[in-house]
Parts: sequence; C-alpha cells; structure tokens
Amino acid sequence: MKNIRIKMLTILLMAGAMSCTNMDEEPIGLLAPDTFFKTKQDVQTAIYGVNGALAHESLYGRAYICNMQLRDDMCDIGNRSTATYRIQVNDFGVNSTNQWMSQIWQQSYVAISCANTAEAGAKSLGLPEAEINPMIAEARFYRAFCYYNLVRIFGNLPYIDYPISDPESVKTLSKTLEADVYKAIVADLEFAKQWLPNKQTSDCRTRPSKGTAASYLASIYLTTKDYPKAYTEAKYVIDNKDIFGYQLEIDFQNIFRADKTSTLKEIIFAIDFIGAINQGSYNDDLIIPMTFPRDINAGFGVVVPSMKTYESFNDLDYRKKISFNLEVKDPKTGLMVPYDKWKEPRPHIAKWSRYPGNTGAGFRYSDHNYCDMRYAEVLLIAAEAKAEVSGTSAEAEGYVNLVRARARNDAGVVGTYPEDIAPGMDKTAFIDMVIEERRIELAFEWKRWYDIKRRNLGDVAFKGANSTEPHATFDATRDYLFPIPKTELDVNPNLNPQNTGY
Amino acid sequence: MPNRVLSKFWKIMRLSVFFLLLFVAQTYATVTYSQQTRLTLNMQGAKVIDVLSKIENESEFFFLFNQKLVDAERQVNVDAKNESIDKILSEIFENTNVTALVKDRQIILTTANPEMVVSEQQKIISGKVTDAKGASLPGVSVVVKGTTTGTITDGNGFYSISNIPEKATLQFSFVGMKMQEVSIGTQTTINIALEDDFIGIEEVVAVGYGTTKKSDLTGSVASVKSNQLVAFPTSGAVQALQGRASGVQITSNNGDPGGSMKVRVRGGTSINASSDPIFVVDGFVGGILPPPEDIQSMEVLKDASATAIYGSRGANGVIMVTTKKGSKGKTRIEFNSSYSSQQVINQLDLLNAEQYTTMTKEAFPTYVNSGANTNWQDVIFQTGAIQNYQLSFSGGSENVNYYLSGSFYDQEGIIIGSAFKKYSVTSNININATEKLKVGLNVFAERANTNGVITQENSGGADGAGVIGSAIKYMPDQGIYNADGTYTTAAMHDPIDNAYAITQEYENNLVSDRLQANFSAEYKVIKDLSFKTTLGISTLNNRTGEFYSTLLNRGRSYGGLGSISSIKNTNVASENYLSYNTTFSSVHKFGAMGGYSYQTYQNENWMASGSKFITNAVSYWNLGGGAVPQIPASGLVEGKLASFYSRLNYGFSDKYLVTFNARYDGSSNFSENHKWAFFPSGAVAWNMKNEEFMRNVSAISQLKWRGSYGLTGNQAIAPYQTLAGLTNVFSIVNGLAVNAVRPNSVANPDLTWETTAQLDFGADIGFLAGRINLSADYYRMVTSDLLFSVPLPQYSGYSNQLKNIGKVENKGFEFTVTSKVLTGDFKWNLDFNLSSNRNKILELPNGKDILYASGPGHLISLGNTQILRVGEPVGSMYGYIYDGVYQSGDTFIPGSGFEQVAGGEKFRDIDGKKDANGILTGEADGTLNASDQTIIGNPHPDFFYGFNNEFLWKDFDLSIFIQGSQGNDILSYTLLELETLGKPINSTTEALNRWTPTNTNTDVPMKTAARSERVSSRFIFDGSYVRVKNIMLGYNMPKPVLGKLNLEKLRLYVSAQNLLTYTNYRGYDPEVNYRGSGSGAQSNTNQGLDYASYPNAKSVTVGLNIVF
Repeated sequence: MKNIRIKMLTILLMAGAMSCTNMDEEPIGLLAPDTFFKTKQDVQTAIYGVNGALAHESLYGRAYICNMQLRDDMCDIGNRSTATYRIQVNDFGVNSTNQWMSQIWQQSYVAISCANTAEAGAKSLGLPEAEINPMIAEARFYRAFCYYNLVRIFGNLPYIDYPISDPESVKTLSKTLEADVYKAIVADLEFAKQWLPNKQTSDCRTRPSKGTAASYLASIYLTTKDYPKAYTEAKYVIDNKDIFGYQLEIDFQNIFRADKTSTLKEIIFAIDFIGAINQGSYNDDLIIPMTFPRDINAGFGVVVPSMKTYESFNDLDYRKKISFNLEVKDPKTGLMVPYDKWKEPRPHIAKWSRYPGNTGAGFRYSDHNYCDMRYAEVLLIAAEAKAEVSGTSAEAEGYVNLVRARARNDAGVVGTYPEDIAPGMDKTAFIDMVIEERRIELAFEWKRWYDIKRRNLGDVAFKGANSTEPHATFDATRDYLFPIPKTELDVNPNLNPQNTGY
Repeated sequence: MPNRVLSKFWKIMRLSVFFLLLFVAQTYATVTYSQQTRLTLNMQGAKVIDVLSKIENESEFFFLFNQKLVDAERQVNVDAKNESIDKILSEIFENTNVTALVKDRQIILTTANPEMVVSEQQKIISGKVTDAKGASLPGVSVVVKGTTTGTITDGNGFYSISNIPEKATLQFSFVGMKMQEVSIGTQTTINIALEDDFIGIEEVVAVGYGTTKKSDLTGSVASVKSNQLVAFPTSGAVQALQGRASGVQITSNNGDPGGSMKVRVRGGTSINASSDPIFVVDGFVGGILPPPEDIQSMEVLKDASATAIYGSRGANGVIMVTTKKGSKGKTRIEFNSSYSSQQVINQLDLLNAEQYTTMTKEAFPTYVNSGANTNWQDVIFQTGAIQNYQLSFSGGSENVNYYLSGSFYDQEGIIIGSAFKKYSVTSNININATEKLKVGLNVFAERANTNGVITQENSGGADGAGVIGSAIKYMPDQGIYNADGTYTTAAMHDPIDNAYAITQEYENNLVSDRLQANFSAEYKVIKDLSFKTTLGISTLNNRTGEFYSTLLNRGRSYGGLGSISSIKNTNVASENYLSYNTTFSSVHKFGAMGGYSYQTYQNENWMASGSKFITNAVSYWNLGGGAVPQIPASGLVEGKLASFYSRLNYGFSDKYLVTFNARYDGSSNFSENHKWAFFPSGAVAWNMKNEEFMRNVSAISQLKWRGSYGLTGNQAIAPYQTLAGLTNVFSIVNGLAVNAVRPNSVANPDLTWETTAQLDFGADIGFLAGRINLSADYYRMVTSDLLFSVPLPQYSGYSNQLKNIGKVENKGFEFTVTSKVLTGDFKWNLDFNLSSNRNKILELPNGKDILYASGPGHLISLGNTQILRVGEPVGSMYGYIYDGVYQSGDTFIPGSGFEQVAGGEKFRDIDGKKDANGILTGEADGTLNASDQTIIGNPHPDFFYGFNNEFLWKDFDLSIFIQGSQGNDILSYTLLELETLGKPINSTTEALNRWTPTNTNTDVPMKTAARSERVSSRFIFDGSYVRVKNIMLGYNMPKPVLGKLNLEKLRLYVSAQNLLTYTNYRGYDPEVNYRGSGSGAQSNTNQGLDYASYPNAKSVTVGLNIVF
C-alpha cells in the first residue's frame, strides 16, 4: 500500500514538474513601446523624455556647451593637460574619432528618437486634432531643435522623423542635404508655431511655446540668410511679446542666477537642470567645474577665456563684470583668491559659477536652466535682419539700444556705458556692430561659434591681426563643419563622403 | 596598536585553553565511566539480547560476546533504579556461568574466565581502525577472509568480531583506503591504521546527478578534499580552492576582507557574458557555499563530458561541492579554532616630504612645503587579525545520520576601518524512512557583515579618492589635520581627501544574509532503479548602508550623503530524476539516468538615499531627516529554466567505458525564436591497465586513456535583453522631476546562447603501486556565437544591439602529479599541478579591432587602454612603446601632445603611413599619433601552478604550499599615476632617478607639469610570481596521551600565509584585478590591471583541532 502511494506520488511529482515548460518572459517595470501609448499623459511622458535627453552630460550638461565655446574665439583651453579631444576642438585638430563629436551626435539622436516616438505615439491615439496637435507640435519642436544644432555642426546628415523598431532598416540610409534638413526643420517649427500655446503651463520656459517656435524660426532664417523671413519671425515675437510674456530682465546679472532663471520673462527657451541630484549622465551638469579655476573647489579650468577676450570687453561694461570672475573663494581657506594666483592666471567665466544654486559633489551640478534663447537675442536678430533687408533704420537701432540700455543698469545704478548707438551707421558697420554686440551680450552662451560660421568670420577671428585667440591651423574649407563620427561611417558607408578635410 | 592585537591574541588563547580544560575535565570524569554510570531499567520477561541492546542504546557501553556461550534468548526480569552496570549485569546473569568483564565502555561476556578467551579456538577479536594520522575511521568493513562473517567499525572506529575460526585473516577495507589483511595469530586486539589508497581506484567523485568511482570516470574532473580546503583560514571556500586543482585559476579581485574572487576553469570562454563556473552544492545548482570546514570535497568538472549535463550553464565549468555528512556511530565532536595576525604584504617606496618638495618645485616652482612629514601608508595600515572557530557534531544510528556545525569567522582588515565577520550554521540530516525511502534535509544559514573602505575607485577625482589611492599620491608634507582640527585636503592638483579622513568619515556596511534549504527524497522503485527528487530554496539578502560625512569632499557638497540599498535574490530549484545501474553477465556495467528540473530566479532591488543632514551622527539610518531627498530606485528581474537531461554509461569488463550526456534547456532569458537549446556530449575511456597484456607490467599500476567531445552553453543573455523597451529617464521640467521615458532597446528575436565546443584528451597513469600518479589533459574549447554589442547607426537613436557574432578559443594542457615520495617513518607526500591555457580571439564583428578603456576616470588623458583583436588574447594591453628619455641633441619625433624636449618621454614611431585608400601600412610616418599604439601586454599567464608538500614524522606534520603564475603582464595604473611625474602628486622612489640636466643616464623622465598620463610599455610589468601561500607545522598529540584524555585527536599548529612572494612587480601585490570583478564583460576584458587595490596580507596563524 505504502509503496503504491509513494509510486503515485512519484508519478505526480514528475508530471507536475514536466508541465512547467512555458518560457515566456513577463517583465514588470519594463515598458513595451507597442503597448505604452494609451492616454495623452503617456505622450507627454514620452515628450518629457526629450527634456531629460537634452539635460545630459553629452549635450547641455557639458559636451555640447563646452564644445561650442572652445571652438569660438572667446574661450581657449585653460588646462592644456586636459583630454586631447578637447584640445583638438579648440585648436582645429578634430578628427572623426573625436569623443565630443560622437557624444553630441549620439545624444542628439537619442533626443530625436524620443521626439519621434512621442509624435508617433500621439498620432496612434486617434484623438481630434485640437486635442492632440499641441502635443505633436511640442514633439516636433524638439525634433527641429535637435536637428538645428546637428545640421549647423555636421552639415548634411541622415534625417529621420519616425520611430525605428528595426535598426537594420536604416543601415543603408544616405545623408539628407543641409538645405532639405533646414526645410524639414522649418516645417516642424511652422507646425509648432501653429499649434503650441502662447504660454506653457505655469509659464514654463523649459518647454516650448508659440513664441519659442517663432524665435527659433527667426534664428534659423538668420542662419540660412533668409533675412526677410528672419526679420518677420523676430518681429512677430517682439510684437507679441506681451502675449508670450517676454521682456528684458532689468538686471543683467539675474539672467545668470540659478534661483531666478525659472521666473524670468527674458528666457524664451532653456534646458532645465536641478542641483545635487543626478542619474548617471542625466541631469549631470559639469559646466561649473569645466569653467572654474583649476584645483579650486574641484574646478577643472578647461574652458577659459583668453586674456585678449577679457581685454576686448570695455571695462565700463557692466556685462564684463557679470561675465568674468576676477577672484573666487577657496572653500578650503574661505579666502578670496585673485586670478593671478590661479593655475591659469587669467579671468574665468563667471556667468555659471557665481550663482549656481545647489551644487553637488565636486562643484558638479547646479540649479541652472541653461538658456538657449532669450529675448535679447531675438531683439538682436531683428536688428541684424532688418538691417540686412533695408539697411540701418531707427527700428533696427532701437532694438540694439534696448539691449544696451539694460546693460547700463549696474544692479540698480544706471551708468553711462554702453551708450546708445550712433544713429545712421553704414549698413555694414551696423551689422558688424550687431555681431559685436552679440559677442558681448551673449558671451559664453555658445552662440559665438555659429556667428563666426554663418558670417564666415573664421579667418578674421583666428588669423586676423586683432584675433583674441589666434589659431594658424584654422582652415575655412574644413573647420566650419565637424567630421561625422567615424563609427557611423563604418556602420553605414552610404554616409560617405566624410565632410571636406577629414 | 600592537598592544591591542596582543591583548586580543591572549583573549583567544585564553578561550582556547578554556575549551581544552573543559574537555580534559570531562575526559578524566569518563575514565571511571563504568563506575560512575547509573542506569535505570525495568524489563519484565525480556530476552537477554533485548536487555543488552537497551543498555547499549541508553549508555555508551557495548557488549562483546559469543552467542554459543551466552544464551541471548533467555528471558529475564530486570528492575534497576540508578544501579551500576556491575549490579545490573550480575542481576541478569544470576545463576548462570556467564561472567562479565567490564573494560571501560567495553563489556565482554563469557562463560569462562575471560582471560582464557585467548586460548579459545573460536575467539573474539576487537580493536580500533584509524587513518594514517591516527584519526578514527568509522564505517570500515572488517571481514574474516573467505567468510561472510564481518562487521563495520562504529563511530569511534572500534570493531569487534566473534566466532573467528582458527588461523583466520581479517580484511579491513574502506573507500579511498588501501585494503589491509592481518592474520590473527594469537592476538585478541588488532588496532590498525589504514593508508590512503593513492591509486584512487575506489575513490568516489561527485558528478552531475550522481557519483561515480574514479576508475569509471570518462571525463576530466579535479577533486579537492577537505583537508586541503581548511589548510589555512580563508573567508570562503573559493579562496581555499586556489592553487589546488589544475585548470582552475583563482585570483583575488581585491585584497579586502571578505572580498570576492575570480574563478576561471580552463580560461575565459566568453567576452561579454559571464565566464564564471556554476557551483552545485549537494545537487543544488547555484547553491550557496558553506564555509570550507563544512565541505567534504570539491570536484571541478572541466571537460564537456562532465559539464554537458548542466547544458546551457556548463560552458564555464562546474564546481560540485559535497558537504560533510554524519555516519553511523557515536557522536563525533570536532572543534577547530585558529587565530591569525596579519600585516600588509608590502609597502610602496614613496618619496618623503623633502624629496617630494624638491621634485615638485622642479615643475611647480611656487610650491611651498607644508612642513609635515607624513607616511600615509603607516597612517592607514594596521595589524589585522583573523579568528576562526568551528564546532561540529556528527554521528548517526541505524536509520538517521546527522552533521551539525556552527562556525564563526572574524577578520579585522589591515586598513583601518575594514572588517569582515561571518557566522554560519550547517545542518545535514539524512533519514532512512523505510527500507526503500531515504529522505534528507540540508540547511545552511549565514550572516556576513562587511565594513568596507574605498579602494580600487573607478574615478579618484576630488570627491572620489579612495584610501589607497589617496595614501599613495597625497603630499607627504601635509599632515592629517589642519590647525583648526579639520582634515587636510590635498594642497595641489585635485583637492582630494586625505586617506585617514576617508577611513574615518566614510561608512560602508554590508550585511549579507544567506539561507538555503535543500530537501531530498530518494526512493528505490525496484532493484537497481531509484528515483530522486529535490526541492531547494535559497535566498540572499544584502543590505548596504553608505554614508559620506560632511568632513569629506563628497559629503560636504551634499551636506552629508547617505543611502541604503538592498537586494533580495531568491533561487528555487527542483530536480527529479531516475537512476538505473546494473551489471549483467558480470562484465557489462550499464547505467542510465534521466530527469527533469525546474528552476526559478527572482532578483529584487531597492534603494533610497538622502542628503543635507542636521548631523553626521545619524549615518544612513535616518534618510528621512535629510533636507534634500535623492532619487529612490527599485527593480525586479525574474527568470526561469526548465530542463530535461539524461546520461548513459556503459562499461565492458572495466576496460572500455562509454558515456553520453545530453541536456535540453529552456530558458526565459532566451529570445522568442530560440527558447530551447540542446547540449550533447560523449566520452570514451580505456583502462589499459586492465588488459591482459598489462597485467605483468608491475611498474605501472594504472593506465587510463580518456577522450571526450561535447557542446555546452552559456546563457549569456540577461533577462529581458531580447525585448524592446522604453526606459525611464530622469527629467526635470520647471524645476521638478517628471515622469519621462525614452526608447532604450530594440527587440532581438534571434539572440541566442553562446556555445562552447570542447575536445579533451587525457591520461591517468600510476607508477610504483600508486606511489606516483600522473594525470594529464589536453583540451581545446571554441566558444562561438559570442554575444557582442554590435554598433548600430547612432542616428537610429540606439547605440548598439547584441548579436551572436564572434569566436574565442581556449586551449591548453593540465598536469597533476600526486606522489608519496617517502613512505617510511618520515613521510613525504607531494601534490603538484600545473595548467597552461592559451586564450585567443578567433572572430570579432566585421573582424574589426575593438578598443576600450579601463583607466581610472580621473586620469582623463588615458583614453583607450586595451584592445580586442582577432588572433590575440582577450584583454590585451594597448599603448605606446616607451623608448626611454629624450636627451638633448636627440631628434625629437613631432606629434601633437607628445613631448619634444630633453628629459621628456620618448615613444616609438611605428605606424601612421597610409596607402592610397587611406589604410595604414604599418610604416612609420615620422610623427607620433594614435596609430603608433600597439599591443604591449598580455594579462594571461603562460602557466600557473600549485605545489603542496606534506612531511609527516612521528607526531609532527609540516606542509608547504606554493602557488604561482608565470608570464602574465600587469598594466599598473597605480604606478602610472605615481610615476608619470606630471602632476603635483607623490611618486615612488623611482622618481629619485628622474632625468635632470645633471642626471641624464636614466629611463625615468623629468618632472614637468606639461606631461599627462599615457599608457605605454613603461607601465607594463611582468606579473609573474611565486608565492609561499602557506607553511604549516602541526603537532598531533600522541595516541597514548589522547587515550588518557579520551580524545580522538588533538592537533596544534602554527602556520604562515603569503609569507614570501617572489615577483618583479613593484606594486603592492602581483595578484591584482582592477575593474575585473563581477561577472559582466569587464570580468573578461579587464585582467591584470592594478589601481589602488587593497593589498593582500601576510599572516601568522596558530590553530587547534580537537576531535572528541
């Protein structure tokens, strides 16, 4: 009896065990793209992916911002024992394996894939246009924003505006011509301008609004030298500034105070960071250590203005005071250390390190919202475009004077410098003046390199007699574009030819 | 410090002496056992034999008698309350001619004067069986030759046989021992010591789902026995295995107390997946290893014939662990204890304050000496200590046997603040429930507590420097404290924390609980056929608390940073299999085994952290009190595996052996299109010695040839890796964190396991009646379908995708020699093993080199440091060839970023010229650039070995265990950082020979601020070493004394670990492994790297083993 029972138990055990042969996975916490999009909130969640992707060490957390600044004629390498790829960017010795190039390329496309996924997700919901188009508009704005940076850096490039489920399917893609990329960017921004709200929820400036789309359209048209359209868009923003909630901040310093940026009316679009928290390379903000005096409070002293850049600012200009640190506090001693005692004994950038809010370990992280477009720039775009279209005018002068007037306000004490511009300047002189005004006003805001590029100023800026940062190696036939990362050409030879000179 | 250690030492000694006295006292008490013992019995109308059994059961007495003389069936009445044995016996045998002779616990019943027994023809023989060292051997079969009369020895090795005919011979046999025959003659007591049977013919080894006699083995299996595993105190059984088995390379990842070890069986079979072997503990795949003291043996299954039964998990070798079991007989109590005092193995020779200042001023003229002279290594190193205790009880009766053990291991590290403590209990109980049903339960529980310090930091920048990293590069002219009592931070370069501050202000506490229970039932269905089922559950709970106080850079910027994280891993496995073993026509041995197993894994993790605390005192235990919460995290990963497996054995006449294994595995980790995988293997063996023509070749005592081939797998793929997914992305909008996702992975429906095909040829040869045994194996393994992350076009939004592309080969030789060199009064036993493995990449995605970086993050100029290249081994070091120092007048080779001054580093220009298609030609182009990098080092040893010598003389034993590795290179980031001489940090004394205008005849470049770190042959070192891992001198209390103390064994020993290491490597220790721990890709690709590792220790140990 007992044996029979045990034998039966044995058989049952075997049979029971054998039945467990289903090997499907049921992951918890892993979101499958096919089934993710069910509500508008899911679309918003995917759009927010772009915000995260931009606030990454490869883009606005370090690589993009530092790359653009080293490339221009304002910031030179401070610590020359820093990584070679940084020196290459600064010294026009970039090759196609440059790490920063790859990082910017890769992470921009990660942000684009977020936008593409969000757009497709939004369309999949089948909601009425009025309900879903503002979300699609937001996704498309971000896509345009990313491609605008990419196309200026790399020129012709693979253009993708749909989510990819099988990467093999895009392995043989060819490059889209620069002009066509711009067309696609403009189409996205036109859509965005049409469907985005005048103001985002809570007047948030780290998400795009109608005014944001128009401002970037103005910037793009300026870059593509379509000055009438640049003027139209800039004018549109200026005319509707009250609707969009734009105005110049009274005190120039406030634009660079981390505790104030989220409430400023001048900010049109910024990349949001929060201090003392990070998640790997996300929300990882190294702008302060990169620009801070080396070995003081963990500064690296890599992105450091040349002495001539410092000297090129008028001493009376309040903006000089805001833009440069002449001394910083050493937290170890509590004493102020003047710049001649620093590792790189020249003034360093102050815009980001003076009021960073909550920094984390090693002076890493900040509460800054890194502003990529502010109202002052729209005014200067309007002035430049207006002058290009119809020469010097009171209107164009007026825009510049607004910016200058604000600059005279030294923390409540109104000074005399910079004076209003002399009326009736020659067109070329006026445009040169605007470019120079941009250099001073937007100093260390990663705009200068693009000005040099679009105005073909390289030979003057790096080889001219008054160069603030001479580089004999600058080659105008090569250096206005960066090389496409070699790894990409290896994977897809159809991306050849490489940009000229690399 | 030494005083503290000394006082601890005395404490331990006192404890040991206390234990000793306790048992001595007990022993004296039992000398008069028969007089002292009082028994209570009440049996009416019982048979004499039953009464005697009852007495045996309730006391330690045992009876010896001749049933022909003593009427055991006679009925008696016994009514005794607290009576002595003499009284009871006289009551039982009242009115008979039986007399009882009580000798301690032994009682002889006879009808005549017991002294006359000697002259009786049919006599009783009793005695004790021990092993060569005098330890009692329970379970030895004692048979009167040519008869079926016999018995087995009891728990203390005693036996007694009656009814022995005239001129009889006794045969003593025991598994693993040489059979001995003794003719009785006139003896009544025969005590015998059996010798190990070094031919190993009867040795039984564990293989997957069963055991086999070593002589029937067709595969390549290395076996390590208990005594080698406990030769010196180790924090775990894996460490104890180092150097003991051929083909098994074990290296410490870091020298920290309780630190992990890297195990490779016949090299690394993978590149991106784990190359770790699996552990099978008493049949439980993935089970937890008990402490070495509780392990009976470890068998390493190496070739496919042995491992294919583990299918998709067998490719990296299988380590079978068999824990100790009890056996029938009296309770055996064993107590082991040891105490070790530890010192750092070696210190780096660093510059003192004055030398440092002089040097630094050459590059940084404004440098001001801070006035102190601190030897930072002296500050952080201390005398460490290990205490190790184990107490076990084992024994059994007819139907139950048990082994119960508790152990305690306590280590204080050689760096201040580091410690490791482990408590464990093991219980093995086996029950014969019925004649046909055996059930068993194996339970193991362990708590380990690790206090960690930061070493081997991934990035040692301002807030990341570790204890060693800081101690070696920190300015020696700075003190520990500033004038205001705060800790100093580095005056130059990265303002890192000083090493002492890091030991004091950083807290890292890991509490690790492991619990495992494995139930088994074995049922004999019919003769030769049995069914076994097991159900095992094991869990691992780790809790890590971490806190950076505000007195450290990292903590300061956060206002204190604390976190607490946990993992909980659960592993449930059930095995169900039938085994059939039979012999027919007396020459055909047939065995078959087949079964099914089902296993699930569940890994949970969760983490919380906070910052900005009111005080450092709360540590990580009040995260809610932090003003700035950090982001929490949690995750769950589940997997399951279902398998069918089978093995067939056939042996003919003990000469020809054939084995087939197969396993069919289904894994949830596998991709949709490849859920199931099949892994077969086959092996043949020829016991040539058993052939007729070898019978007379007496010099050769064993000769066996083996050959096997088979496929094994590596699951390689992690759970969910084949699925498409969106992942959370940390995103801030309007100053607040929001929910956000981004596309993270694309579906990969074709991803499959890595497969290793292995061929093995081996021979086992014994000479001189087994005094010398030699095993040799040649193997070649090719792992194909290697998992590689293939770059995708990044414009797709994805960087790479896993593909099964690539092949790697491991081939090599293994030799094992065991020899009884001397067998007389002075015995010398020798074990030697040597393994040589060649690792080579056969195929990579598109055949292209893969460069990768492993340098510490703060050495930002290093870039790529290693390379994967077809035809080269995994982990080849990649850099420039250093050609010494430029002298003035030399032709400086141009190159951006390369020095072109006298005193600068000179590198060789070897490549750079491109042909018309832009392909490098391998010709120098007159400039230094990235194309001048080449392979400059190979981290794999030419061979590695272990060499154990054991000398026995009278009551003394001496063993010397030497272990080493030959021909492996080390890329030392430690020395690279210290000897680049670019930054204002301390250097080794090599820097004293740096180039200066007056000291030009040198290979050490000048000190200059213009130099950044670069990997070159200057920092590749020969990592060969020979290490005297253990020397031990033991003294066994002689038997007569033991008898008086009533002890089985008492052994005292002193030993020294890592006493001597011969190496040319100038770092702390050649046994290093920076960034190579864990089981991911880095554990394969990063080998032979050193950065700021926790140095290994050398120890002096005193210890005690007592068996009651």
